[in-house]
Amino acid sequence: MKKYVRVVLWVLVLFPLAISAQSSTDAVINSTIDGKVVDAKSKTALDGATIQIKGTTNKASSDNNGKFSIRTAQRFPYTIVISFVGYQTKEVLATGSSIEVELSEGESQLSEVVVVGYGAQKKSDITGAVATVSKNNLTQPAVAFDNLLQGAVPGVAVTQSSGQPGSTATIRVRGGNSINFGNDPLYVIDGFIVYSNNNLSNTAAGSGPGVNALSSINPSDIESIDVLKDASATAIYGSRGANGVVLITTRRGKNGRNDINYSAYAGQQRIANKLSLLNAAQWAALVNDINVSDNVAKTFSDSDIAALGQGSDWQNAALRNASIQNHELSFAGGDEKSRYLIAGNYFDQPGTVLNTGFKRYSARINAERNLSERLKIVANFFGSRSQEDRLFGNAYGSINFNSAAFPILVQTSPVAKIKNDDGTYNMTSPYSATPTNALQDIVTTTNRTYLTRYLGNVSAEYKILKELTLKITGGADLLNTKQNYYAPSYTTAGYASGGFSSVGSVSAVTWLNENTLSYDHAIRNKHFLNVLAGYTTQFSKDESVVASAQKFPNDLTSFNNLSFAGTPVLPVSDAHQSSLNSFLGRVNYSYLHKYNITLSGRADGSSRLGANNRWGFFPSIGLSWNTGEEHFIKRIRQISNFKIRVTAGQTGNSEVPPYSSLAALTPTNYYFNSILVTGIATTQLTNPDLKWETTTQYNGGVDIGLFKNRVNLVFDVYYKKTTDLLLNVPLPLYTGYTSVLKNAGSVENKGIELGLNTDNIRSKDLNWKTSIVFAANRNKVLSLGDKVTSYFPIAPTGQVSPVIVKVGLPVGTFWGYKTDGLLTADDVNKGTPILAGVPQKEGDRKYVDIDKSGAVTTSDKINLGNAQPKFTFGFTNTFTYKGFDLSVFFQGSYGNKIFNLLRQKLEIPTLSLNASASLLNRWSPANPTGSEPRATNSPVPQVIDRYIEDGSYVKLKNISIGYNFSKGLISKIHIKQLRLYVSAQNLVTWTNYTGIDPEVNFYDSDNTKQGIDYGVYPSYRTFLGGINLTF
Amino acid sequence: MERIYIKSILTIVAAGAIISCNKLKEDPDSLITSSQFYKTQADAVAAVNAVYSTLNSDPAGDFPIYGRNLNLLIGNGSDDQVYSPSNTNPDVRALGTTTYIASNDRIRKNWQQHYYGISRANQAIDNIPAIQFDETLRIRLIREAKFLRALLYFNLVRLHGDVPLILHDPSTVEVKDLKVARTPVDDVYAQIISDLADATGLPVSYSDADKGRVTAGAAHGLLAKVYVTRKDWPNAKAELEKVITSGTFPNATGTYGYDLFANFKDAFQKPTKNGKEHLFSVQYETNGGAKNAQNFVSSGDFSSFNPAVYAGDLPDERLVAIFDSADSRRSVTFFNKILNPATNVIVDFGAITRFAKFIDFTLTPLTNQAQSGLNFPVLRYADILLLYAETLNEINGGPSAEAYKAINLVRSRAYGVYTSDGNYSDISHDLAPGLNQSDFRDAVFLERRKEFVQEANRWFDLARNGQLVQSLKLIPAKANNVSERNNLYPVPQVEIDLNSLLTQNPGW
Repeated sequence: MKKYVRVVLWVLVLFPLAISAQSSTDAVINSTIDGKVVDAKSKTALDGATIQIKGTTNKASSDNNGKFSIRTAQRFPYTIVISFVGYQTKEVLATGSSIEVELSEGESQLSEVVVVGYGAQKKSDITGAVATVSKNNLTQPAVAFDNLLQGAVPGVAVTQSSGQPGSTATIRVRGGNSINFGNDPLYVIDGFIVYSNNNLSNTAAGSGPGVNALSSINPSDIESIDVLKDASATAIYGSRGANGVVLITTRRGKNGRNDINYSAYAGQQRIANKLSLLNAAQWAALVNDINVSDNVAKTFSDSDIAALGQGSDWQNAALRNASIQNHELSFAGGDEKSRYLIAGNYFDQPGTVLNTGFKRYSARINAERNLSERLKIVANFFGSRSQEDRLFGNAYGSINFNSAAFPILVQTSPVAKIKNDDGTYNMTSPYSATPTNALQDIVTTTNRTYLTRYLGNVSAEYKILKELTLKITGGADLLNTKQNYYAPSYTTAGYASGGFSSVGSVSAVTWLNENTLSYDHAIRNKHFLNVLAGYTTQFSKDESVVASAQKFPNDLTSFNNLSFAGTPVLPVSDAHQSSLNSFLGRVNYSYLHKYNITLSGRADGSSRLGANNRWGFFPSIGLSWNTGEEHFIKRIRQISNFKIRVTAGQTGNSEVPPYSSLAALTPTNYYFNSILVTGIATTQLTNPDLKWETTTQYNGGVDIGLFKNRVNLVFDVYYKKTTDLLLNVPLPLYTGYTSVLKNAGSVENKGIELGLNTDNIRSKDLNWKTSIVFAANRNKVLSLGDKVTSYFPIAPTGQVSPVIVKVGLPVGTFWGYKTDGLLTADDVNKGTPILAGVPQKEGDRKYVDIDKSGAVTTSDKINLGNAQPKFTFGFTNTFTYKGFDLSVFFQGSYGNKIFNLLRQKLEIPTLSLNASASLLNRWSPANPTGSEPRATNSPVPQVIDRYIEDGSYVKLKNISIGYNFSKGLISKIHIKQLRLYVSAQNLVTWTNYTGIDPEVNFYDSDNTKQGIDYGVYPSYRTFLGGINLTF
Repeated sequence: MERIYIKSILTIVAAGAIISCNKLKEDPDSLITSSQFYKTQADAVAAVNAVYSTLNSDPAGDFPIYGRNLNLLIGNGSDDQVYSPSNTNPDVRALGTTTYIASNDRIRKNWQQHYYGISRANQAIDNIPAIQFDETLRIRLIREAKFLRALLYFNLVRLHGDVPLILHDPSTVEVKDLKVARTPVDDVYAQIISDLADATGLPVSYSDADKGRVTAGAAHGLLAKVYVTRKDWPNAKAELEKVITSGTFPNATGTYGYDLFANFKDAFQKPTKNGKEHLFSVQYETNGGAKNAQNFVSSGDFSSFNPAVYAGDLPDERLVAIFDSADSRRSVTFFNKILNPATNVIVDFGAITRFAKFIDFTLTPLTNQAQSGLNFPVLRYADILLLYAETLNEINGGPSAEAYKAINLVRSRAYGVYTSDGNYSDISHDLAPGLNQSDFRDAVFLERRKEFVQEANRWFDLARNGQLVQSLKLIPAKANNVSERNNLYPVPQVEIDLNSLLTQNPGW
């Protein structure tokens, strides 16, 4: 894709040169030299190269087929000089025969083209902060492409929600701007705008954490990913640009080749880490200790305990080592007029927990054809079908967590047998409220999601004039989600209802029409002007339905035929639609590719906002100065490139659900004489003034290339302030309403980013490259509107919110008590302040009375840190030696805190649930030096500093070794390229975190509840072998 | 060739221009906006149904008012209950240990739910008069909403004292324009009495499809309870005599047919819902998931046959001790052993007594109490009789024969000797004769305590009788924490933070 863009650009830039060159042809003809200029690597024709006879002014220009012809009075032989901006100039001796000249790309960044919004730009002229994901990152095996952004680009932080295959990830470009809505970047896939909304891949029928809508896109189709970070780059996306824009370009065919490629990998996933829990004998001793504190008889005698031994390891019983495989077959190629790519993919990842996994089939057709000199048409079509089996648990987007499968499993008493002697599941545990079995629940519950996605767009580019191009694009994204859920009557979830089943479906369509005009003009190869103007319109609609039933006589039909059920459940359906109309414009001007300015802006009108504020305008300005082109820098040989960038601009965010500004009424139910009746009342106040969140961003950066660009450094500093936050502003409760969605408050993000690429060794056989990305972001709530200085986001039912949103602190700060070991007899005697209202004795947890009030109350809670990392980094080394290549990729995060909610739960002694092995060192009269509190019956869990753990980590994310067979060897068997490799992912994790994995987000991408670990799907290591074969 | 392309391009441009006319105005298919509503009779009925639904459901899926939430304040906040080890919510535990503070989440939630219901009542009362339909029905619907508004304000004013008296839905979303001060208790009561007086014009009874709606008898009964709370004894007596079935007491004129069930258990059974003893009940239904009574009292009472699993709400042992073994209310209200119908085994829960009154024994499996179909009785005839005994004792400076009769009817039913229509067979369970005014008052309050366990009465009774502090001093978990400030619950801290015009109750 880049190549074609480049050709087009150069045609436009050099067109004036060519005109002047042709006019100086000599009239007397002694010789004619014909030839062709091509790119040395891709062999594609170079349009607009200058061919000059050395020592004369006689020159010509290559046409769009790269061909040229010079007629001259001179006789052979003579030397011709072929030059082309961005390529190394070459001299060739002309002897009369037709010649083909291969030009190699120059080392200057002048030659590089970067994909930007609605087009491409020479890297030299870029003013904004734009980063490209390296090939090395893109080639890693992954379910969804958002995983590939991790550690790949400075300023993009990615956190996997869990180890569930196909799980969601939280992606933040330069921190979160919004508190409540829309912090995910905008994705632009081959020009089609996709805001990934996981509401569309989840219905109320599904159970457990969210399905990632992006997992429906096949990552191996991707040729390049560019991330637009600052306002100068993203303002062209206006109201959706505030959170950064990820531009994805898929693979295309190349001119002059017809390749058949088969890529595959297969391997095994192994459990990385397990929780350390009490065994049966240890747990029985704990129960006895609780009995003692309750003053009741011990449950287990000494001989009972001796007989229990290890008991059941529920965690182990549900885990397995699982296979993983991916196959990819593609046909790609083209000629001068047409390019095509046809690709198919099959991906299969059974989960490391029983009865889970992810599978995807996908196909892509990308085609383009130059119908004439002036007209080009392009079509991209992608279809996929994926199937995900998840662990059941809290419903997507809900705050309840008590039903999550993995925590339930690990809390199951080790005294209870997993299976009976005859191999059936033991359902008579005295520690279970229902006659069910936690492992059987996992194995027999169906919780499947099918995603079917078709994403297609077509475009036509027409050159109205040589410098003026009209581009019209039309496309649609169809996403269909179907979820099947069935909990048989012998599972915990289905027990009370005699078997519960639910089916849900969402059908979502987005269509987009974009019309742009671009004008490229160069004056005397000094002034370069590019103007873009456009109008776009986008429409989205989704319709969903969920039907459920209960009391199933048997398991034969389950979700496939709800009419076999004894009792229906009130079905629900919903529908939303929204529109976005936009005018956009951009002017790039460059003088000598040295001084550059970009002005861009977009006016967006969104149906989701209040009637009084539908339209918003988002402008930006960017300036850059290629200081390296100035003589005073050019004299310094070591510096090959030096560029300074400064930008400012505004972007927006309006990702509120449709109809948020309207006075909505909702139905409720009541009964009269046991008959259901419907009640309807207003539950949402109207706010016709609802408008955009606006992010104002300033960015300064330098790009430095040293030693012939063998060292490349990109450094950026930014400041962002988001105002008019879309907040659920609390109303006095006596109004009958809890809140209204309003624009209030502000948040800031500021930070630095560093990208360093070095070519450490460059030789014929051995090459070594290093890449470092580093980013630090600081987030702070500046205001929450009138009278509000803090609030607690809604906590799971029955829990105290562990997080606070407070002015002056980062969004989602953990809020709880500081502790200081255990109460000693001395403490009790001298009346050390204790937790108000809770009887406490020696051996109980000692809380710190921060405000010295004499008792520990909620006013003693303090800031215990937050989930946002102080910095994130990625560190990649690649080595090639002859045919061998080795890549080592580390990725890490520093300073982020995790609320280890599962550990909090596991350290609460109860009479029925298993607990953490750390309770072995509990205080008791027999163990007065114990570090953990004495055993009492279900003490109230408190949010304390102990459970706000350091989540810093470094992961050896990927290590791979490959071998490329030499062309000579394989060409005999008609193979163009053959690479074999082995790799390992997540091989080592260095962390102090005591949970299973520091990469965890139980509440998905909820900005206020980041970094909470309530026992998510465990993570794993992957070992792979792969092949890459091109015919 | 080229021209064909150009033509096709122009066609595409034209098509693009046409489809580009995307409307930005929102015209939602999946929801109703206020401008579309309040047009028809059906709308008016639905608007009033919505007020009822605030009694048995919470928009966030939390415990509703007459599920477990009000009971957490009235039961845990009084001497009837202590915290349970399974109360892992510190705010719930704080209510059980009298260590709650103004930012207690349960207090906030209860306040919010009451005003949520009031808001819906206000919407109905404001909007229904403009809808053109059957006059009789229109007036009835408004009166139903007024009763419910009065009931909710009656709870609020007793819990918090002065409260903002809101009678209309807000017309702005600007917080500064929504600020109001607390309305004095007397003015709130004036509104309650006026709303209830209006509601006394409601029908005496309803056809089957509407059974469970507010009746005239319920309005008189609640009004009487308001007057008793205000110590307005003459008015209380007058209202009570309108409710009490004529012929059972000399001055009674009631024509509603109210009577005690002979069997105490029948006041809390599915088949006897909305029976002769029920003046007003919040309706629940076991409905296989279409909508069930999630977070009802029952789910706090019983969830497991595993004795290691504590119920969410546990009685204080001193409450259990006041019942003698012949009192049928003991076995209806509590259990220590329970039959598991699935295995036919009696499970022994040991020394720790649990609540049984609101367990729906018709459910299979029995642990599925979230599906309970038992109503929550807001006002029972036993309450009316005991209020009458109390009123007569106060108005006459001591217990009259009628006062004795009123309390003895309730006692006789408790001991299984009540028949019907104010008659019982065995006087051996009667209250000792010859009590002075003070002792009789204590006897009435003791009877109320035994009668209304978990029926959202105890804290109100202690507070209006001035006995709250001394009663809580008897409970070890609360003794050191209780003080005079506990006679009123604090105004939720969030309300004061948002609105500087609101003052806090003394001591908070």
